[in-house]
Amino acid sequence: MLLAVLISNSEGNILIERFNGVPAEERSHWRSFLVKLGADNLKGSRNEELFVASHKSVYVVYTVIGDVYLYVVGKDEYDELALAEVIFIITASIRDVCQKPPSERLFLDKYGRICLCLDEIVWKGVLENTEKERINRLIRLKPPTNI
Amino acid sequence: MAQPLVKKDDDRDDEAEYSPFLGIEKGAVLQEARVFNDPQLDPRRCSQVITKLLYLLNQGDSFTKVEATEVFFSVTKLFQSKDLGLRRMVYLIIKELSPSADEVIIVTSSLMKDMNSKTDMYRANAIRVLCRITDGTLLTQIERYLKQAIVDKNPVVASAALVSGIHLLQTNPEIVKRWSNEVQEAVQSRAALVQFHALALLQQIRQNDRLAVSKLVTSLTRGTVRSPLAQCLLIRYTSQVIRESNTQTGDRPFYDFLESCLRHKAEMVIFEAARAITELSGVTSRELTPAITVLQLFLSSSKPVLRFAAVRTLNKVALTHPMAVTNCNIDMESLISDQNRSIATLAITTLLKTGNESSVDRLMKQITNFMSDIADEFKIVVVEAIRSLCLKFPLKYRSLMNFLSNILREEGGFEYKKAIVDSIVILIRDIPEAKESGLLHLCEFIEDCEFTYLSTQILHFLGIEGPKTTDPSKYIRYIYNRVHLENATVRAASVSTLAKFGAMVDALKPRIFVLLRRCIFDSDDEVRDRATLYLNTLGGDGEVVETDKDVKIFLFGDLDIPLVNLETSLKNYEPSEEPFDIDSVPKEVKSQPLVEKKAPGKKPAGLGAPPAGPPSTVDAYERLLSSIPEFSNFGKLFKSSSPVELTEAETEYAVNVVKHIFDRHVVFQYNCINTIPEQLLENVSVIVDASEAEDFTEVTSKPVRSLPYDTPGQTFVAFEKPDGITAVGKFSNMLRFIVKEVDPSTGEAEEDGVEDEYQLEDLEVVAADYMMKVGVSNFRNAWESMGEDFERVDEYGLGPRESLAEAVSAVINLLGMQPCEGTEAVATNSRSHTCLLSGVFLGNVRVLVRLQFGIEGSRDVAMKLAVRSEDEAVGDAIHEIVSCS
Repeated sequence: MLLAVLISNSEGNILIERFNGVPAEERSHWRSFLVKLGADNLKGSRNEELFVASHKSVYVVYTVIGDVYLYVVGKDEYDELALAEVIFIITASIRDVCQKPPSERLFLDKYGRICLCLDEIVWKGVLENTEKERINRLIRLKPPTNI
Repeated sequence: MAQPLVKKDDDRDDEAEYSPFLGIEKGAVLQEARVFNDPQLDPRRCSQVITKLLYLLNQGDSFTKVEATEVFFSVTKLFQSKDLGLRRMVYLIIKELSPSADEVIIVTSSLMKDMNSKTDMYRANAIRVLCRITDGTLLTQIERYLKQAIVDKNPVVASAALVSGIHLLQTNPEIVKRWSNEVQEAVQSRAALVQFHALALLQQIRQNDRLAVSKLVTSLTRGTVRSPLAQCLLIRYTSQVIRESNTQTGDRPFYDFLESCLRHKAEMVIFEAARAITELSGVTSRELTPAITVLQLFLSSSKPVLRFAAVRTLNKVALTHPMAVTNCNIDMESLISDQNRSIATLAITTLLKTGNESSVDRLMKQITNFMSDIADEFKIVVVEAIRSLCLKFPLKYRSLMNFLSNILREEGGFEYKKAIVDSIVILIRDIPEAKESGLLHLCEFIEDCEFTYLSTQILHFLGIEGPKTTDPSKYIRYIYNRVHLENATVRAASVSTLAKFGAMVDALKPRIFVLLRRCIFDSDDEVRDRATLYLNTLGGDGEVVETDKDVKIFLFGDLDIPLVNLETSLKNYEPSEEPFDIDSVPKEVKSQPLVEKKAPGKKPAGLGAPPAGPPSTVDAYERLLSSIPEFSNFGKLFKSSSPVELTEAETEYAVNVVKHIFDRHVVFQYNCINTIPEQLLENVSVIVDASEAEDFTEVTSKPVRSLPYDTPGQTFVAFEKPDGITAVGKFSNMLRFIVKEVDPSTGEAEEDGVEDEYQLEDLEVVAADYMMKVGVSNFRNAWESMGEDFERVDEYGLGPRESLAEAVSAVINLLGMQPCEGTEAVATNSRSHTCLLSGVFLGNVRVLVRLQFGIEGSRDVAMKLAVRSEDEAVGDAIHEIVSCS
C-alpha cells in the first residue's frame, strides 16, 4: 500500500497531500515527520536526487524538484525500490506539466493538472500508471498512443 | 511539529511572486461554484473553480455536509459539457467530494452512461469513480460491465476495472471473487500494467487457497511476465509458496527461478529476488552466495535507494548469517561516510554485527566521528548494536564502555540517554569486570542528569549493585549529593539507596545513619517519611546491629505483584475497619501486544522496571462474578482466561467465551452479540455437552433475558470439579434462544418468537488454564531461594519436531507459564536450548521451571524438565501435564 504522497514547499507548507489507509489522527504526525525529514536533508541537494529512510516496516523516499519537496511513503510491496519508481514518475510528470523543475509559483499555476497527474499515478494507494506520455494523454482524456 | 503547517498564502509577503491562490477563501470559492449552474457553461472558468476546490481540500479545509452536497449537485450538471479537459476534472472532483456528500446516487446515471460510452477514456474514468462511490447493490447492477472491462482491449479500461477490483475486494469480496476467470485472462495480457494489476488482484482473490496460488506461481514462473513490477509480485508470491511448501529435504522448489531473477535487467527485480533468497527459511550458504554477490554490487551503486535497500537487507542477513556478509565489509565501511545518514547507520550496525574482535577498535574510532552528526534515533540504533557487540566480545568491554560513557556526557534526548544507560547496566550485569567502572560512569552521569526518571533508576540500581563492590563507600558521596541538589523524587530515591548501603554494609551503617538523620529535616513529606522508616527498620535509634533477614527482604525483595494491579486494587479499596490485604491483589500479568512485537532474543531493557500493563480486566471480571448470587460461594477467583472465539468473524451471532477458574469450580462466561438488526433474541443460553470432560459436573447456568441488535450480553454456565486436580476436557456448545422479528422502521419486536439453535465451536479446558503467568525479575535468585526441597527432575522424548523453536514454544504453551529473561527465543540453527519459566499454580503456589532441550539430526527433540515449587504436589502435577500430553 502506498500510504502517502505529500508535496510541500521548501518551508514545509503543504501543497498537496494524499493519504491512503492512514487514520486521520496519525496524519498530522506523518506530516510533521516528513516535513522535518525534508528540512534536515533536502536543503542544498540536487534536483531529483533521491533520499530514503525507513521506520519500522514503513519506507519513505523523498526528493526535491525545483522549489518543491516531494515525499512518498509505502509499506509491504511498496518498498524503497517501488517507491523510487513512484517518485520517479511523479517528478517526471511534474516536469512535463511545468516544462521545467518548477518554482513554487509555477507549481501552483499548474496545480489542477498536477492533481490530475497524481490521480492517474496513484489511486487509493495503488500505483496505476508509470509512463509519463500516457499520463500526459490520460489527463486530457486522450487514449494512449500505443494501443 | 517542526514547521507550522499553515496555508501557503497566510505568510506570503512577496507580492511580486504571488500565488494564484493568494487570499483564497472557502466561502468565496463556494460562491464561484455557482458558475456550474450557468445555462451556457464556460469550461475554462469551471476548470479553474474546480482547481480552487481541489486546492482547498488539499489544504485540509473541510466542507460541511450541506456545502459538499451543494457543490456535488452543481458539479453533476457539468456532465452536460462535452469539453474533455473539464470532464476529466469533473471525475476527479467527484471522487474527492464523494466521501462527504450524501447524495452520490444522483451522479450514478451519468456515470453509468459514461461507462457504456464508446469513448474508452470515459469508460475508464467512469469505472474508477463508480467504484469509489458504489455500494453492494449498485455493484451487483454494474458487475456485468466491470467483468467486460477487465478483458477490454484498451489497457487503460482494463487497469481501471482491475484496480477497482482490488479496492472492492475489501468491501464486497464475494462479488469480486466471481470475476476470477476474467482476471485470469487479464494476467495473460500483453500490456505490462494490466498484467501487474491482474496478478495482484488474482493473488488476493485466491490467497486462502494455497493450491491455487501454487498453480498460479508455477504457470507464471514458466511464462513471460512483462512488467518488472509484476515480476516483483511474482517473486513475493513464489516466496510465499516456498514458505508454505515447507520442504525439508531435496532441492528447494522454485529456487532456480529466484536465482534466475538475479540476472533480470531491472534492478527492482534483482533486489526482490536477492531479498527473497536471503529470507528463505534455513537458507544454506550455497543458496545465499549469489544473492549476497548482487547485494554487494548494489552497495557501491550511485543510486542511494539501491544502496539503502542492499545495506538494509545485509543488515538483516547479518543477524542470522554474519559470516556470509563479511565479504561485504569493505564496501560497507565506505558507506559509513555516506551522505544519507540512514544508509550510514545501517552500514555501521551491520559492521558491528559482522566485525571480529580485532576490528572493534578501528570501528569504534570511525563511529566516534560519525556520532556527532546524526539524529538521536540513529544514535539509539548504534548504541544497541554496540551493546550486542560488547556482549559478544566481553574482553573488549573497556573500549566499548569508554565509548558509552563518552557519549553519555554529550548532548542528547531522553530516549537516547536511556538507551545508553540501559546498555551500561546490561554490561555491568553480564560482564563482572565491567561492574566497577560502569557504576562510576553512572555516578558521574547522575551528577549532571536532567532526567528524573533516569536518576531514580540509576540510584535504585546503585543500591543493589553498589554494596556488593569492593569499596562501597566511594559511591556514597554521589548518592548523598543528590539529597542536596535534586528534586524531591530524586531525593527520595537517594534516601532509599543510602538505606540499602546501610543494610548491606555494616561498616558504613553509622555513617549512613548520620546522613539519614539529616534527611529527616527535608522539606518534602516523602523524603522525610522514607528517612524515618529506614532509620527505624535499620535500628538507627540504638546501637549498630546486624540487619535482620526481614529488613533485607523488605529493602531488596521483589514486589511480586504487577504495579498496575496494585494500583487498581488500591483505587477500589474503600476505607473500612478491614485493612487492605496485599494478598488480595491479582498477580496475573496481562499479555501485552508490545512485548510480542519485540525482536526474538532481544535482551530485556536494563534498568526499566517491568513496563506498565494495560488496566487490569481481572478486577472487572471479579466484580461481575461476585455480583451474581449463584457464584457467590465459589470462593476467590484464581484466573480468567483471555476470550476464546467460538464463532467465525462476520457470522450472524458473535460469541466468545472467558474461562474463570476457581478452586473447585470453573465458570464459562459466554459473551454474545446479535449482529442482525431485524432480530431480537430472548432467553439466550448456551447448552454445554460435557461428555468429553468427565471430571466436570454442571451446577448452574444463567441465561441472558434479552439480546437486542449489537448490544453485548453475557450468559454463564458453571461446573464443579474435584478440588486440587487439574481437570481437563472438551466441551461442545450450542447457543439456544427465542428469536423475534423486529420491524426496522419502528424498532419494535413481534410478540411471538420461534425457538432456534446455533452451533458454536468446541471449547477446551487445558492444564495451562490453572497456571498464571507471573514473571520473576531474576530467575537465578528466585530458583536458588526456592531451594531443592521440592525439586522434581525428569527427562522426556518429544519425538520428531519441525524445529527446536517449535518444540520450545509448544512446551511453553502447554504449561502456560511466563518465559523469563528472553529465554523463549531460540537462536537459529542451535542444537540445544535452555528455557526458564515462572508462574503461580492453582492454590497460589509459586512454580519455577527450567527446561533443557536438545535436538538430534533426525529432528528428535529430548527435554529435561526441572521443577521447583513451594508444594511438592504441584511439581508432580507439572510433570504429569507434560507426560500426559
